[in-house]
Amino acid sequence: MDFVTMNILESTMVSICREMGITLMKTSYSTIFNEALDFTCGLADLNGDMIAVADYCPAQIGGMPLLVKSCLKEIPASELEDGDVILHNDPYRGGLHTPEHTFFKPIFVSGELVGYAVAIGHIAEVGGMAPGGFCGEATEIFQEGLRVPPVKIKKRGEDNIEVWKLLLANVRTPRVNYGDLRALIAAVDLGEKGMRGVYEKYGLETVRRNVSDLLLYSERRMRAEIEALPDGIYPFSDIIESDGIDAERHYPIEVEVHVRGGEIVVDYTGSAPQAAGPINATLGVATSAAYNAVLHMTDASIPRNSGCFRPIRVVAPPGTIVNVDFPAPSVGGNTETHPRLVGAILGAMAPVAPDRVMAAEGATHCNFVFGGVDAETQEFFACYDLEGVGWGGRSFADGNDGVDSINGNCRITPVEVYETRFPWRIESLAFNVDSGGAGAHRGGLGYTKQMLCLNDVIVCSQMTDRHLFAPWGLAGGGEGGCGATLVQNAGRDDWRTMPEVYGKASTSRYSNVAIKRGDRVRLVTPGGGGYGDPAERSPEAVARDVREGYVSAAAAQRHYGYDEGGK
Amino acid sequence: MTRILGVDIGGTFTDFVSYDAETGSIETWKNLTTPSEPIEGVLEGLRRIADLGEIGKIRLGTTIATNALLTRKGAKIAYVTTEGFRDVLFIQRANRRSHYDIGWIKPRPLVSRADCHEIPERLSAKGETVTPLDEAAVRALAERIRADGTIEAVAVCTLFSYIDPRHEARIRDILAEELPGLPVSTSYEVLPKWKEYERASTTVADAYLKPVVSDNLRRMKARLDALGVGARVGVIKSNGGEATLDGAAESPVQMTLSGPTGAVVATRALSEITGIRRLVTFDMGGTSTDCSTVVDGAEHVTTDFEIEWGVPIQIPMIDIHTIGAGGGSIAWIDKGGMLRMGPQSAGADPGPACCGLGGTEATVTDANVVLGRIDPANFLGGAMALDAEAAARAVAAVAGPLGMEPDAAALAMVQIANNNMLGALRAVLLQRGLDPRDFTLLASGGAGPVHLADLMEIAGIPAGLVPNHPGQFSAFGFIMTDGRVDRHRTVQQISKFFDAARATEAMTELSRGAAAELLAQGYSDRIAIHRSIEARYLGQNHELELSYPSDAFDEASVADLWARFHVEHEARFGFSIPGETIETVNLKAVAVAVSKKPALPLLPEAAGPAAPRGRRRVRFEEGWIDTPVHDRAALRAGHVLTGPAVIEEDASVTLLKPGQTLSVDRFGHLHVKS
Repeated sequence: MDFVTMNILESTMVSICREMGITLMKTSYSTIFNEALDFTCGLADLNGDMIAVADYCPAQIGGMPLLVKSCLKEIPASELEDGDVILHNDPYRGGLHTPEHTFFKPIFVSGELVGYAVAIGHIAEVGGMAPGGFCGEATEIFQEGLRVPPVKIKKRGEDNIEVWKLLLANVRTPRVNYGDLRALIAAVDLGEKGMRGVYEKYGLETVRRNVSDLLLYSERRMRAEIEALPDGIYPFSDIIESDGIDAERHYPIEVEVHVRGGEIVVDYTGSAPQAAGPINATLGVATSAAYNAVLHMTDASIPRNSGCFRPIRVVAPPGTIVNVDFPAPSVGGNTETHPRLVGAILGAMAPVAPDRVMAAEGATHCNFVFGGVDAETQEFFACYDLEGVGWGGRSFADGNDGVDSINGNCRITPVEVYETRFPWRIESLAFNVDSGGAGAHRGGLGYTKQMLCLNDVIVCSQMTDRHLFAPWGLAGGGEGGCGATLVQNAGRDDWRTMPEVYGKASTSRYSNVAIKRGDRVRLVTPGGGGYGDPAERSPEAVARDVREGYVSAAAAQRHYGYDEGGK
Repeated sequence: MTRILGVDIGGTFTDFVSYDAETGSIETWKNLTTPSEPIEGVLEGLRRIADLGEIGKIRLGTTIATNALLTRKGAKIAYVTTEGFRDVLFIQRANRRSHYDIGWIKPRPLVSRADCHEIPERLSAKGETVTPLDEAAVRALAERIRADGTIEAVAVCTLFSYIDPRHEARIRDILAEELPGLPVSTSYEVLPKWKEYERASTTVADAYLKPVVSDNLRRMKARLDALGVGARVGVIKSNGGEATLDGAAESPVQMTLSGPTGAVVATRALSEITGIRRLVTFDMGGTSTDCSTVVDGAEHVTTDFEIEWGVPIQIPMIDIHTIGAGGGSIAWIDKGGMLRMGPQSAGADPGPACCGLGGTEATVTDANVVLGRIDPANFLGGAMALDAEAAARAVAAVAGPLGMEPDAAALAMVQIANNNMLGALRAVLLQRGLDPRDFTLLASGGAGPVHLADLMEIAGIPAGLVPNHPGQFSAFGFIMTDGRVDRHRTVQQISKFFDAARATEAMTELSRGAAAELLAQGYSDRIAIHRSIEARYLGQNHELELSYPSDAFDEASVADLWARFHVEHEARFGFSIPGETIETVNLKAVAVAVSKKPALPLLPEAAGPAAPRGRRRVRFEEGWIDTPVHDRAALRAGHVLTGPAVIEEDASVTLLKPGQTLSVDRFGHLHVKS
């Protein structure tokens, strides 16, 4: 291997991906893009293997290789022309969930197809039965928004007007969607141009050979990382509380991580049969979750590409919540089931890799989505919004407070932007004291966002979890605090759950609740589990937590024997 | 009173550049910095000047603010905000530094949560009062702060204060009444822009710095006053402008990045002198490299600075992209067998192996010695002899496991380090839509000129420039500095319902405020105002900046603004959306008091071709080449050299690759062409 050229090519390709992301961030319209940065930009080779990617949203990184390959099965490379841009979002064709839109552009050098520039972004509004694309009560994919099989949104550099018309006629916010789609196209244009420059500078053969070596190099390093883990079979289980349809049922997740000779097999056998509601993960999501978990446990300096994934395999029986069959709904699989799968894999590995895992994090993005017609402007608005949760405690540190769940790396939208854009007033944004699980290293805190409705009606839906089953601790650590969603109707003093007020099946998953002017909504996000025996927590850390208000004196007394007067 | 003195107080050295307007002569020198009391190093350097009465102006670049932030040695402060929102500083934006990092620890703000307080008050997104300010609660808080007795300054940031600062101003006034003498920073005065976390973080940094910086500047002023020069001292701000010592103490967050701005200001001056319109700076030192741009006579200003990841300071600063790669970056082999350079650095202690100060690991400097690019006998003008054998040993230790010859390994080390630095150039050029092919690369710092030729080639930059005194370039910039005040404010409006009167009022306030601040600091004449507007398509969240000619907005000027926006969007991002609603976000006014620029001394004309001082073997990609070595001091205006060549001077070495040419202009600048 020519390590020097390979090193230079790798960092050049990653910068191209980063530049694609900057264009996307700067030109897109939805807050989920430009504030939250819920997108990913990468480059693929002729086979659809990912050869470079920039750090934006991890859930999409693991999904990218399968996505491009699935599209190429449907539109073969022979039908691609210079200047084409392909668009796709179908979970049943390698996609992750309907909001995740994949754009890719073939790269031609001297008339020869050499690879693809890829951008995947979360489009906030996709049509379907609930504004904002997260219908907590969907029972089939058709309710989750417009399904787009691989189509050419641009042909030989020209807009394919028919496709644009169909796309924009089926969503509630065509002006905003138009801006987001344009931004995604600008990103793949930039990637294609940048990569063409690389091929022209180094020559086809040099790039091909080095890219192939680069994938091998990543694979070799990943195998070395896995070899350092003791061989064995490591089981773990967790539970998803509801599918939003059946009020009585819970959905177990079972994982068995087989580590043997430099390879990892994640076996999900035993996980619940697929649900009627939208908590199902596609095979792409379950695979991406396994990749995500392994990347979290291994050296972060390994160049991220398809080579990293070669030593990782997944067993996911069809017809289950980890490999859903058509036409069941799947929007929550990507945001909610994914981090729970990652958490379960980390939990499984905790006994043999204690310094590379954490106790359960909140593992939800809260996914509070809403839409309506603005009373002042008469324009339809829609928003997909997410919130931070507590991280789990670690063998070496407390869990971080208020951080986006591990399968995303999104930013929350500032209050001042939120209120300028949408008719809500946010009344508070405050940590949930005592929501971090007790432990030698306590869990991180979740927080509460309280909002007042300023529009006649705002139609709200949600897809979250951890209202019933608390985030687990590790090595003797305690459970983190549960989340909640509560409503205070105008003129009332009490706070009630969605089932109590609107007769929904679940407190955490519901759709199309009409929140009226003067109603308040309180989103409480879960904390993280603790790590290690609370008795081993240093008295200084306990006293600091009490002084700074992360832990109440009463809870400190209960978990740590803290004595307010004495120490 | 004809001398202007630029003083750059760095971590290791304090650099001095003196310009005498009467004789037109420039002198440079340096001495060690006293980190515990930086003024000592300044006073030591001043001893070189026999008659301090000659000094008309001393401009200081200082790291007081930078160090207080980086080492977290600022004041113990209290934070005051809207009821319900004290945790904004701790929740931050809820994202994390990087993916796949279980070990990450979320950054802490510069204030303890126990010292964060909420006051009942609230404005709406349109600036209407939702909850009036509870003045009694502010007085009660003042009482708590007084009783506590440990609080040294207060930061105030309430929601939507960028629209109307009346609550923040009232909180400030009440605190001033109740706690006279306690410094208070309000977000409206520090950064009247939207996004509460970023504004709060910036305001907290200002309060955090105030006691430390004012104290330091006061001590500095007293010592300089004792020499009779205190009134003639200016401090360099992050925007590259100058403030008086008192002005700097008022708003210390403005000094977050002081010293490194000098190189950019100097570059702007060189742009004017040489007529080169597009320059990209490449200031390479021992541990880090700074890059920035000067386009059409203007530096690029950013508001995206972070103290550490996730802790922003969003005041306008010269956009300097710093990466942790320099002459001291260490070579290592990763677990997969790949050669990497840095970010670990040998720094000044233990230093590169060739320095003989105890370092044994191979650094970029060692590689340059092995390649014959740096002459071990002529480092720092011969003031420090390098140990070539130690360099060879260190490089051989890296070459062995790679199965490479030492010279090939040294070349690979330099290539990888160059590629890391290329990342910084991409960040300031391509990532901002600037085409490297239109630029000239300006190399400064001790190590910059050594890598200039390589970087020109890999970055696709066709021209290079090595200024005089590349090792003291920042201090040189300080003799060219102008008085400058930047004022920004969020005044959000959309093109459909644009209120020209509101925009006119806000712009007038900004430009008058900026000019008034300059006047208050004692700048009286030649004040120019530059106005601009940040706008975007309604729904986007990042803005394009468009210049704007006056305080007044009318139908024609606004129509022109919208038209220019579409054109700019197309140019920057490759598409525009004709007919789309445009949103204006921030208005900006910059007041500049243009100082009289020194007339630089001229070099005598060349009488014949340049004669090399000697020759030595230098390793290029092509192999070892017997290369002429020139003494820069012997070069004259009009000299032209053809690569390969090495040009040596006191604090640096310029390398010319085969095929490149170098010409000397009448000021002595070296112009390199590929």
